[in-house]
This record gives sequence, structure tokens and C-alpha cells, in this order.
Amino acid sequence: MFLSSRQWTVDSGRRRKSLYCLLSVAVCLLAAGCGVRFDMQDQPRYKVYKKSEFFSDGLSSRDLPAGTVARGLLKADKALYTGKIDNPNPNVQVETTTNAAGNTIVTSFPNAIDEFPVAVTKELIDRGQDRYNIYCIVCHGPVGAGDGMIVRRGFGAPPTYHDDRLRNAPVGHFFDVITNGWGKMNGYAASISAADRWAIVAYIRALQLSQNPDENLKMNASPSAAPSPGPAANNNTGGGGN
Amino acid sequence: MAQFFSKSANNIARISMLAGVVLAGTAFFVYTQVARSSYLTGRYVERQQPVQFSHKHHVGDDGIDCRYCHTTVETTASAGMPSTQTCMNCHSQIWADSPYLEPVRASFRDNRPIEWERVHDLPEFAYFNHSIHVAKGVGCSTCHGQIDNMPSVFQENTLQMEWCLACHREPEKFIRPKSEIYNMQWQDGDLSAAERVDLKAKNKIRSKEMMTSCSVCHR
Repeated sequence: MFLSSRQWTVDSGRRRKSLYCLLSVAVCLLAAGCGVRFDMQDQPRYKVYKKSEFFSDGLSSRDLPAGTVARGLLKADKALYTGKIDNPNPNVQVETTTNAAGNTIVTSFPNAIDEFPVAVTKELIDRGQDRYNIYCIVCHGPVGAGDGMIVRRGFGAPPTYHDDRLRNAPVGHFFDVITNGWGKMNGYAASISAADRWAIVAYIRALQLSQNPDENLKMNASPSAAPSPGPAANNNTGGGGN
Repeated sequence: MAQFFSKSANNIARISMLAGVVLAGTAFFVYTQVARSSYLTGRYVERQQPVQFSHKHHVGDDGIDCRYCHTTVETTASAGMPSTQTCMNCHSQIWADSPYLEPVRASFRDNRPIEWERVHDLPEFAYFNHSIHVAKGVGCSTCHGQIDNMPSVFQENTLQMEWCLACHREPEKFIRPKSEIYNMQWQDGDLSAAERVDLKAKNKIRSKEMMTSCSVCHR
């Protein structure tokens, strides 16, 4: 039916028109007969959280085989990824005590590092504020007094950041608690990256300073990066999209 | 020779021509409306989930930030569904005995993920990335609606191409400051038209031609 316009005659024109009509009807019938197809809508590939029919546990996102490390994700820097150092004196053990509420609280921190392994900058503290207001504020409250909304809903109250014990606690302890949890608190390593956990620790230090402005705080940062109290306004940097 | 058509046939012919046009127009209108209807798009249809999870309670009443659970919304294409561990952060203590939460506890015990029903099912020939939208100033509620008022989540918009394009053509009508992305109470009127145009430039949103290029979404 590939007639060019030079071959146009009344007859061929009519033939083409009737063919077009027939074709239209045929297309309609075909579409009705086959139903609507979704091959492109639902493609045979795994999108995030799609269920796998192949693996018996139904998970399309697989765990790494045990003992493997993705390129660039070797966590060799122990201080940076755990907030701890190898025990300088093996005879010194972690000391704990039980408070009035029956919670076990730690009173000595022989393994925790006392200096930030990252540079403490205004950006770091702002980022920490941003993350704190997502993950920590729910229980620890806006200034870390342990009066967050979830506590008001019945979760056991966490200790305040503003007692002597936690004011004097090394930064590595806070990092360790965020990473692995403590008491009723679960670890947040799955939700918060190590860099963000250090940012939160820096912000906790800023909160402690804000509640005790005269105190000489154990920030142990370089002089150029002296912390300032967190700004009262909700100055979210938004985190951006990397 | 007898008249084949009566005289009224002229009028009938005229009316039927008009009726044909009206009928075709109506049919086309109905076709477009059916295509946009919630019958075909799933808009406003609440999904039954394995757990009676209420965003109204967790977001509206408790004020939990979106990113507490949807942790990867700023960094990856998927906003991220919380692991059962995230539920247990609180529900190991609160409502720990509630029969409503038995599927959560079972998931935690057996180390099997909860099989949530997908609410926003974008066709797989369309590429979508949460992180770029969040970074450029599109707030959660712009697309997802007032999640903090939804006991069970439904799709607020059609997710049809014309809906995507409405914003890709004129993003300055919809964007907001980065500090307000997760604010469920944000109203479009909170920012003046001039401020939005400034914001578009500040967030380096590309030209209309680039934003509506086919391969932005179909790649």
C-alpha cells in the first residue's frame, strides 16, 4: 500500500481510505482482544523494595557476603567509626552504677576518645542540629533534657545531657551510644552515617554549653573551631541532595 | 415519483450532524475524565496495609520528622522504608503488648521484612529520584499531600505525566525554601511570586526546555 502521491487516482484514493477504515477497526478490535499490556509499566527488573520471586526469603536487595568490604567502605579508622581506642590500660574497666530509676549508667569511660576525630566547624554543628532534630529530639527533647515527645508518650526518660556525669563524658561515649545504643535506646548506625553521628555529638556539646554557658567545655577542638551555642532558630541546612 | 424522504428529513439531517459533533465531543470529554479518574489512577484510594500504621498519629500528633523513618530521601532515588528495627526503637517500650503491633513484632522476631502495600506505584518507564526533588526545593507535601492528616496513606495526586509536567514547566509555582521541605503545614502562599523566582535561581533549577526534555524522566 506504499503508493506515492504521483500514483494518486480516485480509485487508489478510495482504496486507501477504505483500507484505513478497515485498519482502524482492526486496531480497535486487536486492542480490545489483547487487553491493555503493562510490559513497560512493570518491567522484569528489581526496583527498590520489589519482592523477589527467585530468592526464598523474597528479598531483592541482598546482604553482602560475610567478610566482604565494599570498595571505599573499609572502616579501618577505629576512633572515627567507633569513638573508641584500644584500651590504653587493660586493668581499667568500665564502671557502671544503677540510678534511682533502675537504669544502668556508666560512670567511667576508659576506652572512649576525648577528642573529635573530625574538624569541629560551624557547618558540622549546624549539620548536627539538623540531624539531632530528626533522630534525637523525639526522646531527648529540644535541648537534651530528656523530655521529648516519645518520653511524654510513655517511653522511659533518658538521662539529661546537663548533669556533671555527661558534661564530663568524653565525646567518644556519645558516639558509641548513638552507634550501638545504650539501655532502652537502640543503636542508630543504620539510620545515621558516622560523619553525621560526629556532627550530632558536636551539637550535643553545643547544647551542653547552651545550658551551662560559663562552663569550660571539653570540646577539645582546634582553637579556630571554637563551638558556638546552637542558634535558637531552626536553621536547617536541609542536608542537600548529594 | 414518490418522495423518498419526507420534508422533515432535512431537519433531522441537520440535527443529527450537530448531535454527532456533540456526541463525539462528550465521548472525548468522558474519555479524558475517565483516564484521570481515581478508578484508573488510584488517586485518593486508601490502601490496606499489614499494620494499621497511622501517619496522622506519628507525624501529626507526635511530630516525628519524615526522615526519622524515610532516612534516604536526601541521598537516593528511593525515600527509604524504615526497617522493623526503626519501629522497635520506640515500640520495644511503647505499645509493646498491643495486638495491633503483632505483625511488627513477628517481623522483628523472624527477621522477615513487613510487606507494605506500595501506594505510589510509578510506571517503570519513568525515572524518579527523591533526592534531587528535595534538594531543589520540592517539599514532601507538594506531591504527597498532608500526610500528617492521613490515618492511612493514599495517593494525593494522579502521578500522570501531565501532573509531573505542570511542575517541570513552572517549578517556581511549587518550590519552597530548603528549611521548609519537611514542613507539612507549608502553604504555597507563604512565599511571594518574586521570592519563588529568586529561589528557582538560587536552587539552580534548569530551564523549562531542559526540565521538560524527554530524557529527564524517560532514560
